[in-house]
Amino acid sequence: MEKKLRNFNITGMLFILPAILIVILLLIYPIFSSIYFSLTTKNLIRPFYDFVWFENFKFVLTNPDFYKAFVNSIKWTFFSIVGQLFVGFSAALALNRIPRFTGIYRTLLIIPWAFPAIVIAFSWKYILNDVYGFLPNLLTQLGITSSNINFLANPDLVFIVVVLINIWFGAPLFMVNILSALKTIPSEQYEAAQMDGASPLQVFWHITIRHVRVVIGLLLVLRTIWIFNNFDILYLITGGGPSDNTTTLPIFAYKVGWGMKQLGVASAITVILLLFLLGICFLYFKLLDKWERDDR
Amino acid sequence: MNKKLFVLFLLILSLVITACGKEDDTSNQGSSGEFDGEITVWHSFTQGPRMEFMQSAADAFMEEHPKVKIKIETFAWPEFYTKWTTGIQSGQVPDVSTALPNHVVELIDVDALVPLNDVIDNIGRDRFYEAPLQEGTIDSDNFSIPLYSHAQVMWYRKDLLEEAGLEVPKTWEELFETAKALNNPPNLYGLSVPMGSGDMMATRFLNFYVRSAGETLLTEDGKANLTSKSAIDGINYWVKMYNETSPEGSVNYTVLDQANLYYQGKSAFDFNSGFQIGGVETNSPQLVDQIDAAPMPKINESDPDNGIETSNIPVVVWKNSKHPEIAKAFVESLYEKEEYIEFLHSVPAGMLPALKDIAEDPMFLDEPTIQKFDNAVKIISEAVDKGTAIGMENGPSLQSGIITSQSVIEKMFQDIVLNSVPVEEAAEKAEKELNDLFDMLSR
Repeated sequence: MEKKLRNFNITGMLFILPAILIVILLLIYPIFSSIYFSLTTKNLIRPFYDFVWFENFKFVLTNPDFYKAFVNSIKWTFFSIVGQLFVGFSAALALNRIPRFTGIYRTLLIIPWAFPAIVIAFSWKYILNDVYGFLPNLLTQLGITSSNINFLANPDLVFIVVVLINIWFGAPLFMVNILSALKTIPSEQYEAAQMDGASPLQVFWHITIRHVRVVIGLLLVLRTIWIFNNFDILYLITGGGPSDNTTTLPIFAYKVGWGMKQLGVASAITVILLLFLLGICFLYFKLLDKWERDDR
Repeated sequence: MNKKLFVLFLLILSLVITACGKEDDTSNQGSSGEFDGEITVWHSFTQGPRMEFMQSAADAFMEEHPKVKIKIETFAWPEFYTKWTTGIQSGQVPDVSTALPNHVVELIDVDALVPLNDVIDNIGRDRFYEAPLQEGTIDSDNFSIPLYSHAQVMWYRKDLLEEAGLEVPKTWEELFETAKALNNPPNLYGLSVPMGSGDMMATRFLNFYVRSAGETLLTEDGKANLTSKSAIDGINYWVKMYNETSPEGSVNYTVLDQANLYYQGKSAFDFNSGFQIGGVETNSPQLVDQIDAAPMPKINESDPDNGIETSNIPVVVWKNSKHPEIAKAFVESLYEKEEYIEFLHSVPAGMLPALKDIAEDPMFLDEPTIQKFDNAVKIISEAVDKGTAIGMENGPSLQSGIITSQSVIEKMFQDIVLNSVPVEEAAEKAEKELNDLFDMLSR
């Protein structure tokens, strides 16, 4: 105990105290205020509210729109992540093979990340517009479609289209990070595997994947949280429609919180969202730990 | 006992001093009777000339009252709403602002505004139209003053009708037949029916039909009306119009998408106020001579002229204001004849006067666009006089905000056209959803 106290560095603590306070203010406070308001009738503009304990959770969990939004969120996250990983990984493998101008290709491929969400959303809305849009008119002129299709108004297509836009937007992040990990793989390992007669698939699985899986795991954790919580691109492109086909949980929470001004109910939705994401992250980190132990 | 009395005396004395201090704090006029203080004005006029007018009005007021400072802040309507809803929580609200009628109702509900009866009386109560004043009136307290008005009317393309030898439609059925006859996608659509869930356009269109039948989307007891015969007929009508004359993508259209289609010359008919002129002028100047307005269609030509939808954009003074007298004086200054007409002319034919005498004043009427579109201005002025904001036909209510902001009617239309839900079933579901949302207001 005495040794522990002796090792306690007060000066060091004082240096990191401001950072700790900022973290508490910026991270902990919003979480606790959300939890607190989820138990109240907090309204966006009315000054007074009452405690209703778990009434808001009951309201949310018995609301069919919540489940529709929840399923949409899971579909949106799953297909976006799988698509981004596939495209990003493929692009990284291709770039890793190119001996020259890798930097230029990498810069070109990262361009989607350089655009603000509002630019991306309005550009795609314009490209896909069935009256003036470039793509529907091109498809009609090429004879592929008999009349202009509106990709964002068709309930069978809209979800696929927004997921594809999200893949286009998010794949570069996977590409850049996986490419960096690929560059760290010692070429001797590939040479040794070749000499041992390993098949390309075995080489890919036992060397390439093994070296990049921790990076991929971390990317999956981060992107799952970001995509599940993503609001701007989806809302700006579709507004959650048509007919709630693209309403995810953040959009649902926004509509309840800002549209209905029911901040208490919106907070309950975000608390449920938080618990769900914590559960997912727990599983991811378990897997990451296992991979890291295996690597050691 | 004496000690207790002494403490009580001190307490009362401190309260008196505090009260006096507060009086001093909120005093707007110095010993000379001159205004003294700083006020913040929020407005939503993001376009050049209107924005410039607000600044010049503030400059003129500051010149007249040298000890007053006016800080002008401009926000587009969606941002504006976010600003004040969050501002109310933190106390960061302005002294004066523009608002939409639905905002005014919500602000009255949370006791955020001061009555402006004295300002209205100073300007001249008789000079205002009655309906716009009523939109911000609770128990004879006027919480808002209409700054300008506009109303929804039918816009059409004269050249297209002439080429096809068709008349300007007067009934809904005639409109359908004419729009269908002109429909030639993808070059031209007869009439776009917007249903985007990020806006209130489908609610607006349904309201046109229901109001023309003499009914309202909100009943007198504040319930939603989507299942009456007129409402069901209206839903069927717009679904039919969507299927026959509208771009498929209009299921996602918001107000801007809808207006753009007409501005680009891609639709033969549209509904809008006089702001339509400026939009066409900017986007397709070659079409300006080909557009005109007509009164809203009716179910039968002989039906009475029921007021449809008027938008009265008001100004309000916030209760949080430290200088309410300065704020009120500034509001009053906006209605000085010459300056007011200059303001209205910044969007000619788009912003119509809230004052009856100005509407007939030669100085207001003597403007090139207003003269060129005199027929449209006359039709819009007549419509302004009779209509109200959607859901405010029976006076201001919080329900009117819900019916236009929650996209329930938009989703109902989307369910019908995209998921083939039967009209009656979709209408019943949407009506119940709206009534449930109204019940939530009391939480």
